[in-house]
Amino acid sequence: MTLSVALGPDTQESTQTGTAVSTDALTVPDVPWNLVIWNDPVNLMSYVSYVFQSYFGYSETKANKLMLEVHRKGRSIVAHGSKEQVEQHAVAMHGFGLWATVEKATGGDSGGGKRGPGKGKGKRG
Amino acid sequence: MAKAFKYGLKGISGFLEPAERELLRSLFADVISMLEPADRGSEDPLAAMIGLDMEVREPSDRALRRLLPNAVKDDAAASLEFRQLTERSLRESKIGALRAAALGLDKDELVLTPADARHWSTALNDVRLVLAERLDIRDEADADHVHQMQDWSQAEDVESYLALVYNFTTWLQESLVQAMLQSLDTRS
Repeated sequence: MTLSVALGPDTQESTQTGTAVSTDALTVPDVPWNLVIWNDPVNLMSYVSYVFQSYFGYSETKANKLMLEVHRKGRSIVAHGSKEQVEQHAVAMHGFGLWATVEKATGGDSGGGKRGPGKGKGKRG
Repeated sequence: MAKAFKYGLKGISGFLEPAERELLRSLFADVISMLEPADRGSEDPLAAMIGLDMEVREPSDRALRRLLPNAVKDDAAASLEFRQLTERSLRESKIGALRAAALGLDKDELVLTPADARHWSTALNDVRLVLAERLDIRDEADADHVHQMQDWSQAEDVESYLALVYNFTTWLQESLVQAMLQSLDTRS
């Protein structure tokens, strides 16, 4: 991803704390397929975050966290679901121009999105 | 000079000079022509109607492959099956967004509804993906190198011209996305 080039006084980040947890319901942990978003040097960081917020309904905090994971680690699992659900998401992501693939959740995954019970990553107490 | 998109009472508005509109019009048209599927007279009309395309293959052109990427990594057969079911409608939705954005260029005032803004942001993104392939942007260092090209008086070859066009569309998309993010904040 590429950094924004139109930074101005009106682009300050607003930190949002209240809504981060509620959207976790969208990523049910016990379903067998992942939607993976891959990094590329073209898509704007702001655009990727916008897509995560507007399409998945993620909070700004969660969208930015996933966007930065894509940027830094090269990929991020941004949604889980049935095969049909993640395939539908993949088409939507391709519509936005993001590079998305689907994969079975089981099996060795070296990416940053490995799930485990009780991990609670990114959640607030 | 174009003005950055702004979010205000009327929604998202921007300003483009006639030459900039002409440039964007031709960029949108280029990407539309890349995405328009080859006309195959012999194809099954029922399959076409429900969006299936059993003749589809992974595109050989890199830029087109970036617009219509494989959906399953390291699995050509599964990716092809996915293409057969989805690629036609993906092409159509991209073409639809590009046409909608191009149509908006005909109006004097650039005031975007939320739907217009979505069409514009994906259309600009697709244009940038294609330009980036033509400019051979493979990693962040390549992107930085291209980004340094900002002076139109230096445009002496096709590559530097493409780099300037890429930087212009990047700037325009960034300002649009910032306005769209602001509109999300306001609504929530």
